[in-house]
Amino acid sequence: MGLLRDWHYIERAVEIPALSEMIREALIRALFVRDDRVLPKDLIGDLNRGPAVTVKVKDDAEVRKLVRVLNGQESTVSLGLSAEDYHYFRTRLGVGRTREFGLVGRPKTLLTYDWIVPEQRGVQLDFSSYAGIEFTEGAHRAIVQVGAMWKRLYDEALGNGHMAPFVPTVPLDFAIGDAFYGDAPFASYRGDFGSYVNGLRTISPYGHRARVGFEEVANNGTAYDLLHATGPLASEFFIPLSAAVRLDPKPAARKTLTYAFDDGAKTAAAFDKLTRSGQPITWVHVTDASAAKILRPAVPAEAFTVQVSIGGTATGLAAKEKALDALLAGFKSKAADVPNPFDVPADAYRKAAESVERSLFVGEVRLPARAFGDFAARLRAYGDQMAARTGLYASIRETGTVSVFPFFATPKDRTRAYDLSKGVNTIASKVPGAVFVSRLAHLWSEESHFRRRMDLLRRLKLEIDTAHVVQPLVAP
Amino acid sequence: MASLDYAHRRLVNTLGPERVARGEFERMVYSHDFASLPKIALLQWRLYPDFVVLPQTTGEVSALVKLSDESDLQITPRGGGTGGSGGAVPNRGGVMIDMRKMSRIVGLDAENRTVTVEAGATWKDTADYVESKGFALPVVPTNGVASTVGGAINSGATGFGGYRGGTLRDAIVSLEVVLPDGSVLRTASDRDAAGNFANLTPLFFGAEGTLGIITKATLRVMPKPEAAKALAYALPDLETGGAFLKSLVDAGTMPHHAVLLDRDHFVFQRALRSDAPEPMTIVLVSLQGPKDEVGDQEKTIDDLASKGRGSKLPSDVAGHLWDARYENYGARRLSRGLMVSANLVPVARLPEAVEKAAEIRDKLKLNGAIQAYLVDSTTAVLAPYVLLDDTRPSGGTALGFVKRMGDAAFELDGHPMGLGLFFVFNLRKMHGNATTFISSVKTVFDPRKKINGGKTLEVWTKYTWPGLRAIPPPGMAFGLEVAAILRRLKPTRDRFVRAYESAREG
Repeated sequence: MGLLRDWHYIERAVEIPALSEMIREALIRALFVRDDRVLPKDLIGDLNRGPAVTVKVKDDAEVRKLVRVLNGQESTVSLGLSAEDYHYFRTRLGVGRTREFGLVGRPKTLLTYDWIVPEQRGVQLDFSSYAGIEFTEGAHRAIVQVGAMWKRLYDEALGNGHMAPFVPTVPLDFAIGDAFYGDAPFASYRGDFGSYVNGLRTISPYGHRARVGFEEVANNGTAYDLLHATGPLASEFFIPLSAAVRLDPKPAARKTLTYAFDDGAKTAAAFDKLTRSGQPITWVHVTDASAAKILRPAVPAEAFTVQVSIGGTATGLAAKEKALDALLAGFKSKAADVPNPFDVPADAYRKAAESVERSLFVGEVRLPARAFGDFAARLRAYGDQMAARTGLYASIRETGTVSVFPFFATPKDRTRAYDLSKGVNTIASKVPGAVFVSRLAHLWSEESHFRRRMDLLRRLKLEIDTAHVVQPLVAP
Repeated sequence: MASLDYAHRRLVNTLGPERVARGEFERMVYSHDFASLPKIALLQWRLYPDFVVLPQTTGEVSALVKLSDESDLQITPRGGGTGGSGGAVPNRGGVMIDMRKMSRIVGLDAENRTVTVEAGATWKDTADYVESKGFALPVVPTNGVASTVGGAINSGATGFGGYRGGTLRDAIVSLEVVLPDGSVLRTASDRDAAGNFANLTPLFFGAEGTLGIITKATLRVMPKPEAAKALAYALPDLETGGAFLKSLVDAGTMPHHAVLLDRDHFVFQRALRSDAPEPMTIVLVSLQGPKDEVGDQEKTIDDLASKGRGSKLPSDVAGHLWDARYENYGARRLSRGLMVSANLVPVARLPEAVEKAAEIRDKLKLNGAIQAYLVDSTTAVLAPYVLLDDTRPSGGTALGFVKRMGDAAFELDGHPMGLGLFFVFNLRKMHGNATTFISSVKTVFDPRKKINGGKTLEVWTKYTWPGLRAIPPPGMAFGLEVAAILRRLKPTRDRFVRAYESAREG
């Protein structure tokens, strides 16, 4: 993820006398959009240094060996490279020089944008070939290697009598590891992805295999819950290799109901009512007209399309459907035959993901269900003002929170991403109860408790990774 | 170190004389938690605090923490004292902070579906308050009558409603915590913790009060369910009971709570109250939700029960059992003491786990009952309890049961719950190579080990001399293993309840 590293870099940069005059936000902008006219040469140098070598991981032993090499515990000879590769590896990394470099995992698919401060000429791990999925007979859990694609897990779970209830709100072709190394927005109606992770198999900064959390059971009463505390920042503390994820049993029958709404206020009222009903639902996926056109080009798009996935017995489903019809009152039309984005063949999913990926995403806005219509209207108005077509994907939690991922039909350049992020942040600040939780928004935050928490996390990272191997912090 | 009299004066100046106690009786009350300990433990630890204080505000807690810099006295925070691993008892005396005077319900935010409470409020009071406003807590710890909000969070508790409502960790929006330097921290954003990358709440969930003192909690609430119904099924034996619980998960049902209570539990209940149900193995299922769904689930569960050789009990029996759900350990009155061993085990191995618990209980010649309930689709709590008399020499040996149960939980790919003062030897077995990560957390938050030091990660003794100041965790494990061996050598089974023995012999 790199948030901690970016935050640390900015904290230290504002201490530089030449930059201390510059307001924090202006510095973040300059770093993010690479405005080299205002940045000192040293900082530009830091931003230009990318990972020197990419290693395609096939086995966790390779990662362990790499960590030990970076720690100076083993020689590069033990990597077992050919003479040519060996020379390349040593030259690129500059092994033998007195400079720190570390390991960083490469996300398979990034929803938003890359980190600001890259790994400084270290090693980038590519997990695309580390993609096994293992189910246990009789237990509703899977051990998923970080390179395994979410879609494969979803399909194979169903084939093995389970169900992965967490789906990506923005249906991109994510790997499971993108939840730790990137920003994959997996969620179900009942909770965020973190609540489905029992444990992580990791490599520690000392090259040991270390299991954070548990595999077969939840983590209660075992001292500090590092697994959920580090959450999306886990890859800055250790190197996650596999996740033990909790699945649901496959229901006897499943159904996706599609409701079309022509008005944001009606949609918001329906969401509020739905989340107060206590109905057990697998997931709720929402698209506005722009998103619906991308996902389902053949189906005429309404202002808002709400797809609700339910499971249970055949008789139970009928009762649930009736109850949902009443709860989502105000819908313009309803259908039971519109395919949902997730239960389609893998090729079709990938193809749709490619279309979705073309838009520019800036991150997530969390807001109370009742505020959904207000936010959607403001977003549309903002798009008109910026002359960029906007749209949104959203999911709903039973807690009454809606996760909205706004997007813009505009080229993916960092200046545009920054300015649009700023705009979305302004919109979110005007909607009661809404909060923009993108990485940039975290960097902007100057709230004292938040800064204190980040500082504690930074100290914890330095305590766990004393060897400075896992995405080491960089100071200007 | 400043003198105790000086420390007393400073404490009285901070809180007033009526909220600072140093009498023998008060100190004795706070020298143990729910677990019964033999007196021999006093050779190892100074379990009596030097002072007991009762703060009423976050500011006072902060002042007390800062005072300990002057007095150099250890601080032990305490809620309802319902834990059983020594997390809330002192090991070197010091200042015991009883949080129960901070029991206000600060307010309910109906729009955002949250309730903010002070850490000393009990779960039952909080649940009742929330219910009176048309809402419900997603999960309430099983000992919710006495367990405080801060206490249960510190012990990483599970409870009623968790299978449907989610874990207690997920039910916490944010915490207000006094850190070891006396500063006050909010552990997450109040607006939406889950979306915030810097959410430190999980670090305090299960921390046993070793990172700071929780003073307030903002919890999620959910609308009160439309319908609620309790169902009870009699099962032929423990193993089928365990299999029935597993079948509820496999069939995709969503009970609010499902618990297995073995027949011995009802033998004890019968010895206490004539209106207790006939002794038999019972699975109690609570359903909550929309009316249609409750009806549909009941049908599904009835079918599963009949396939699993279970018979449905009358609804008044089920209702009575559900109403009495918090009165779980009344059997303590039969024997002076009681020890609960809480463990998490995989649902997939639940039938095997309950059998194993019964086997250990019988091998150690103890009187006890097996209980298990569902936490989520992978996890169940296995929480057998045994009776003991800590005034007899053989009483303390019953502690060996908890050690053996913990070992069994590891063998079953689960883990025991709670480290506290007595079970620190399980830390490495739980976390393996990640133990060093866990220790780092304490180093960052409390480098001087001021708050609840010498627990969870290490076992301090009352002595401060080098070589004697701490017990190596394997030493504690060895001691409890010896206790288990002594139990096995005991020629006769405990006889706390005559009916229990005759039922077994019959």
